Amino acid sequence: MKISPYMAFAKKSFLQKSAYRLEHWMGILNTLIRLVIYVEIYRALYGGRETVDGITMSMVTTNFILSLGLESFFVVNDYYLSSRLYDGSIATEMLLPVSFHGRMLADNLGTAAFKLIFHFVPAMIVACLFIGIQAPAGPGMFGLFILSALLGYGVLWSISFLFQMFSFWLMNVWAVMTIKNVFINVLSGSMIPLWFMPGFMRTLIGFTPFESIYFTPVQIYLGKITGSEIILGFAKQIIWIVALLLLGFMVWQKGQKKIVVQGG
Amino acid sequence: MKSDTLHLSAVYTKMIFRSWFQYRVDAILRSFAVFAREATSIIVVYFTLLKFDTLNGWNIYEMLFLFSLVYVTYGILIIFFTGLRDFGSTVKNGSFDRYILRPRGLLYQLIFANADWFAAVGHGGLGILLFILSAAKIGVVWTPWSIVYYIFSIIGGVLIQGAIFLFLASLNIYLLETNSLKEVFYWNARKFAGYPISIFHKAIQFCMTFVVPFAFVNYFPAQFILRKEDMSLYPGIFMYLTPVLGIVMYILAYAFWRYSIKFYKSSGN
Repeated sequence: MKISPYMAFAKKSFLQKSAYRLEHWMGILNTLIRLVIYVEIYRALYGGRETVDGITMSMVTTNFILSLGLESFFVVNDYYLSSRLYDGSIATEMLLPVSFHGRMLADNLGTAAFKLIFHFVPAMIVACLFIGIQAPAGPGMFGLFILSALLGYGVLWSISFLFQMFSFWLMNVWAVMTIKNVFINVLSGSMIPLWFMPGFMRTLIGFTPFESIYFTPVQIYLGKITGSEIILGFAKQIIWIVALLLLGFMVWQKGQKKIVVQGG
Repeated sequence: MKSDTLHLSAVYTKMIFRSWFQYRVDAILRSFAVFAREATSIIVVYFTLLKFDTLNGWNIYEMLFLFSLVYVTYGILIIFFTGLRDFGSTVKNGSFDRYILRPRGLLYQLIFANADWFAAVGHGGLGILLFILSAAKIGVVWTPWSIVYYIFSIIGGVLIQGAIFLFLASLNIYLLETNSLKEVFYWNARKFAGYPISIFHKAIQFCMTFVVPFAFVNYFPAQFILRKEDMSLYPGIFMYLTPVLGIVMYILAYAFWRYSIKFYKSSGN
């Protein structure tokens, strides 16, 4: 399998993204506004207290900076497959001598790379200067954080991949995707730091892939988990990626036979 | 003429329902998805206050009351203003040109051809549910005066947001692409309008009061019943300004629309 055509696809989506200037600046502003507002809400909730349940305010701030930061470049196009099924271009795409899934990933990664450089980095710089982030627990931990963040993207992508397979059976996957995203928003720690979830919810979330997306990397960055807990965190991330992708491919095999292209 | 217009509105509405029921499963799924998406912020507030009890003196029921006004007004809003909310794509794909050719007012067509009844049920239903539940828990005693007050405030709240949509739709004529502006100034503001504005930085408070005046949609009207301590930070008169502000903003936005529409150029093809 050659890698170069995928690089070309990634580059194309990278360049496509750079065409919308205003949208881009507003996107950065959006991330920063959300960040400031979450931090202010928690400042009010803390009401001057140093710590709540052993969690300091600066840990909460760091959680929001990191998870909103990661969210800003964790790009997945939920409608990649459905839009191609809808307009029929899937037929020609499947004839190409490159893997459809590889293309799908390359396209997302190109956009993600663009967002990483031009959205994540500037937003992070502003956030670190004006809001203040806690330093990572150590250089080693920082390395593990980056690794775990990459796997977090893998989990997010795999969830979307599986859900996109609904496109074979549903004309419109908007509703399904919206419901999926509600679960991600509430349970991944980007709207509520999971430390503050009630006990039974924490246990429940432990059985889902959602905490693997943003919360595991944040925990590692802050040094809230160590040693065997980190290994367990990585193991969970990898198991979820493999399981979701396998399931996705199984459904793909079934769905592929169902493709009906309506005219052209 | 008058009954003709009424008849046409009824035909439009019937068409919308028909097109929805073409795909029944999809219609139900969609309504549920809207409901779930909107309930997200409620779920977040619920879990957060389970841990923290109060937010700057506001308990969970008072917060829900504050949220409910956002949803009730939005539920009414999308019956009338969906066409303006989605005006960008109407311009982009050229279907606005068709509207121009028809012998009816543009705004009239935009409003009645696009009413989103299902989403209205999703939002409005959630809003009414929250409103009734939280009002009962707070111990609101309904008097004729307070009922009249809330009817007018809700109408005012709808008009304020309608004016924002109308203003952004007019900007579309010059800019062609206003989604990102809408994202920052409307959706973002709305996402956090459910929180008492007193907890935010002065600059954000200023924006929520004077730039995108969401505070008049829910915060000040809610204070009319709740009279929380943080109301002392603002002039008391703010509690009564919502209907006036709604009408003034809508008139200004309408004037801007009438002015801008003269410059409309088709995006082609």
